[in-house]
Amino acid sequence: MSDRALPAPATPAMKPAPDRERRLALLIAAPAVLVLVGLFALPLVKLLAASLTDATGLTLTHYAKLLGTSYYLGVIWNSLRLALVTTLIALAIGYPAAFAIARARGWVRSALLASLFLPLAASVIVKAFAWTILLRSDGLVNTVLVGIGIIDEPIRMIFTETALFVGSVNIFLPFMILPIYTVVAQFDGRLTEAAATLGAGPLEAFVKVVVPLTLPGVIAGVALVFSLSVSAYVVPTLLIGERYPTLSTTIAKAYLLARQPEFGAAAGVVLLAIAIAVVALSTRLGRTGGKA
Amino acid sequence: MVFDLRISRRSALRLGAGAFAGSLAMPAILRAAPKEIVVGGPAGAAKYFNADVFPIIEKALDVKILYEGTNSLTNLQKMQADKASPKMSVVIMDDPVMLPAAASGLITPIAASTVPNLAKLVPGTIHQDGMWANYQRPWAGIAYSTKRMPAAPKSWATLWEPKYGQKIIVPSLQNTEGFWVLLAAAHLETGKPYKEAQYDIDAAFRKLKSLKPNLLNVYTNAPQAINLLEQGEAWMIGGQFSAYTLIRKADGSPIDLAIPEGGGFSMPSGIAKVAGAPAGTTSDAVINAFLSPEVQTVLATKAFVAPTNSTVPTPAGYPDANSLFAPDWAFIAKERAGWVERWIKEMS
Repeated sequence: MSDRALPAPATPAMKPAPDRERRLALLIAAPAVLVLVGLFALPLVKLLAASLTDATGLTLTHYAKLLGTSYYLGVIWNSLRLALVTTLIALAIGYPAAFAIARARGWVRSALLASLFLPLAASVIVKAFAWTILLRSDGLVNTVLVGIGIIDEPIRMIFTETALFVGSVNIFLPFMILPIYTVVAQFDGRLTEAAATLGAGPLEAFVKVVVPLTLPGVIAGVALVFSLSVSAYVVPTLLIGERYPTLSTTIAKAYLLARQPEFGAAAGVVLLAIAIAVVALSTRLGRTGGKA
Repeated sequence: MVFDLRISRRSALRLGAGAFAGSLAMPAILRAAPKEIVVGGPAGAAKYFNADVFPIIEKALDVKILYEGTNSLTNLQKMQADKASPKMSVVIMDDPVMLPAAASGLITPIAASTVPNLAKLVPGTIHQDGMWANYQRPWAGIAYSTKRMPAAPKSWATLWEPKYGQKIIVPSLQNTEGFWVLLAAAHLETGKPYKEAQYDIDAAFRKLKSLKPNLLNVYTNAPQAINLLEQGEAWMIGGQFSAYTLIRKADGSPIDLAIPEGGGFSMPSGIAKVAGAPAGTTSDAVINAFLSPEVQTVLATKAFVAPTNSTVPTPAGYPDANSLFAPDWAFIAKERAGWVERWIKEMS
């Protein structure tokens, strides 16, 4: 028996060496990485740097002003309240709506999907203005309510929190329905029948089978709607105006009117932190199946 | 199929001759597109500028005007951001915003040598040796819905009457016209005439906060506010001015503008050349056109403002200039940033 080592089996000609493979992967990813760094990372670093400076140099003054004064804490709370209320109402409407669309067949499903997608083609500004027209004293809503006898005379609806929440839910609702619908459309209806054969009632089957399986869609929808509504600018500006300051309107005023770009940057960082926290929590919930 | 892109001398001559003959036959090919110039100005004026003013200037100068309509403070911010490489060439802003623009070197003087109509302006309308000129003088009072109010409001105090709960709109202090309600509040709170009351801003804010129960909204977008007044959703807008209100009245809207006891306000609007204007000498030509009798006549009749060109008559119904109060703009410009921040906090 020879003690000479056997020659190593030849590498298949088509398979590149690991190093070469890694280099190739890096080369393919490089343009996208450069775009992401240039368009997202650098501006964010610049924003953060601006928020930590003033005429004298490094400072935390802007954050102290934002997080240490009752007025600006109220502004942050206004943004959070708008986002929380919008998300909760959108979830309450969007969850059954997603099921309704998924269960529908033929032209009914097409019509429901069209009613979901078509409003996305209209500008947010147009939709917000439309609500100001509908909610006026002589608008459709007041006319109908007076007509059916619910109220005796028109009530003020424009420039109120009610108008803000109604408009916000209307504008962001599709972003709740779509992810839930995507999950529900793939849901096997026989699973609830199987649960019933094992003795589960309708409510138990819903809580123990349907909810866990549709949770990824719910989490995605909640993350989307919360992020969009917490940072909304046009909706509060047009539907309630000056007297309901939010982080977005505060940022715009700091840059455009008060000429305090550093303070605006700090408010932007706070808004970004809120949005990132919501997305991170959603991702975590998505991975752990709803257990934080 | 492969094309040989090399051109022989004979072909080049043939192409050149063809192009020359073609250009003689169709001169439009050689005619350059009109030069574009970006003009920044108030959003509320966009409608009548685009409809009645710009077509005259574009035709006379063979230029295309791109109008950026917003409020004066936003235009000032844009100019500061673009200082190294300006996009706007001409800016139309209120006098209190022209002051910081001039102090920051954002606008550059104009002279009668390049803007001949400067020589025809009435006294007091050219500021800081030609840094800016007033092209129109609107007046401000209380705009009201004739559909809701059979009689014009007689006093600024009308805005505070409890029966007008949630019926009043006021401009934000971010808009120049926002100062008028602040001044009226100071006048009502102190009992002093405007000339003295304008410096007592604490009294103004004290009085203004008591207006909150009557407020339907505080606007930054003038067209939206006027629209609410036309619909009768708002009954009055405090501190609104003629160029926005009376132009809508002329179109048939059920609104009017009243001068309350104590008098209305004079609100001079300025026009200036942006420092480093990309349109160069075209900027001077556009400013000259704004000050010309043709455009001034259109402004006076369409927007119900007093012209600044001495050869153009004041429109019928324009109030006596002596009855209109002109405040200390320099003081306002100096204090305004602080007031805006205070307004945002106290009027939310």
